[in-house]
Amino acid sequence: MKIRGVFIEDTFAEAFTMRVARVIITGRSRRWVQAAALKLTGFATSVIGCKVEAGIERDLLPGETPDARPGVSVLLMTMGKDDLGKRLIERVGQTVLTCPTTACYDGLPEAPDRVRVGSALRFFGDGFQASKVIGGKRFWRIPVMEGEFLVEEKFGMLKGVGGGNFLILARTADAALSAAEAATDAMASQQGVILPFPGGVVRSGSKVGSRRSKTMIASTNDAFCPTLRAVTRTALPEEVNSVLEIVINGTEAAAISKAMQSGIDAACRDGVVAISAGNYGGKLGPHHFHLRQIMSGRDT
Amino acid sequence: MNDGLTARLKSPLSEPADFAEVLPLGWPQLAARDLAERPVYLADERVSLGDLFEIQGTPVGRIRFEGDLSAAVHFGVGLAEGEVTVDGDVGSQAGSGMSGGALVIEGNAGPRAGAAPPGFKRGMSGGELIVRGSAGVEAGASMRRGLLAIGRSAGERTGLGMIAGTVVVFGASGADTGLWSKRGSVVALGRITPPVTYRYACTYQPPHLRLQLGRLKARYGLPVQRRYLTGQYRRYSGDLAELAKGEILEWAAK
Repeated sequence: MKIRGVFIEDTFAEAFTMRVARVIITGRSRRWVQAAALKLTGFATSVIGCKVEAGIERDLLPGETPDARPGVSVLLMTMGKDDLGKRLIERVGQTVLTCPTTACYDGLPEAPDRVRVGSALRFFGDGFQASKVIGGKRFWRIPVMEGEFLVEEKFGMLKGVGGGNFLILARTADAALSAAEAATDAMASQQGVILPFPGGVVRSGSKVGSRRSKTMIASTNDAFCPTLRAVTRTALPEEVNSVLEIVINGTEAAAISKAMQSGIDAACRDGVVAISAGNYGGKLGPHHFHLRQIMSGRDT
Repeated sequence: MNDGLTARLKSPLSEPADFAEVLPLGWPQLAARDLAERPVYLADERVSLGDLFEIQGTPVGRIRFEGDLSAAVHFGVGLAEGEVTVDGDVGSQAGSGMSGGALVIEGNAGPRAGAAPPGFKRGMSGGELIVRGSAGVEAGASMRRGLLAIGRSAGERTGLGMIAGTVVVFGASGADTGLWSKRGSVVALGRITPPVTYRYACTYQPPHLRLQLGRLKARYGLPVQRRYLTGQYRRYSGDLAELAKGEILEWAAK
């Protein structure tokens, strides 16, 4: 299969079941909403080193938020149920509670699994906090020097999917970067997905384990490193000199398929040789995103 | 769309009628003929709701009472579920002791709406009591949880001894509103003179009011102006003679 001359490899991305929460942050202006969201999603690229994967899902207009202010929707994902609650408390407490003018709401009100967030953060109020039940939901009003921080008591939690991906194999580093930028632009603001890495792009794709250390759970994906072509079992066609990866997490597999389709389509441009994907032979993750099925519209 | 049940008053109530046993638990599941059998107490006799009202429709958790119920006392007492609308005035102690659901009074409410029934320590413990008109004295007295919204003016001692919960008054609030409140919130969009046992704290924008007032506008069509959502509120803490964890939030007009 080729798209505009770019070869689509007959392979698949292998992804995992994760737990996901959607956090809605609102604020007086876009400036403070973004400030809180960037901190909340900072250092959250991979559970391998960050304990949580997070990203901005999309900006929300005032008409889309609970308090009719500008907002943003953020997804946070962990491997385990218990982890998600801990990460939410840590991160909302350190990055949203601290940010001027913001409030924080649950973005998955229909999810039956609930984790306590506001009810833990309320203790910052040192006994001066108060709660209000509005429309059947409890909110905590925590007094802060600026005024009050409002946070919902519980947040919904769903099973999501983490680790959807594709690899852009390009003739030059510039071509790989241009294609990656086009891909992430095409996937931006798509509901139900986040791209947890910087700018949505990973330059350091990994393989499971290490050749040299038994304690490392991941190390550089040497098969896709152009500089190692001569000294390792390479997976790269001869004309490829740079590879970038896009990692996609989502609330459900269908959302990831849809994002991959638009991202890969945008990445198929001059200078790109092939599109591939990362997997572990299909034995580790239950979700398999076959590139050719997705691009032929059979898996969206 | 199914609008639920309609109860049309057959003839005006000529004497006080006690509706305390009409809308406690289970009413939303009752067919019109079954609801018609619930008792109403007049001064010296017990009659059925069906004797006073013509009840029609299909039970879907909503009922609308049509007619002048200003002589109806204890209307909506013990309401725990469903949505009840009265298209006119209601007498004293409407919604007293309600724990859930919504009671919407399109007209005025008599004294002690949502308050504790005589001999009880607690008033409303949940639900939403909406009075589009004015409310009499001691509305929301001793309420424990829930929301009481008053579209026009509120009588003296509104929210007297509130344990918690919220009272929103769109018009003027009577004297001693919020007196002896423990944790209750009074939101005054009109004129109010906080009791001397409240102390001014600051002028700010309480973030939860955007949700609370937004909901009152969206769900009940109450006259929530944009300036109420974006404006500043003077916060008074009190009652200092009690726990002092209550508040009066007075709209500051900016």
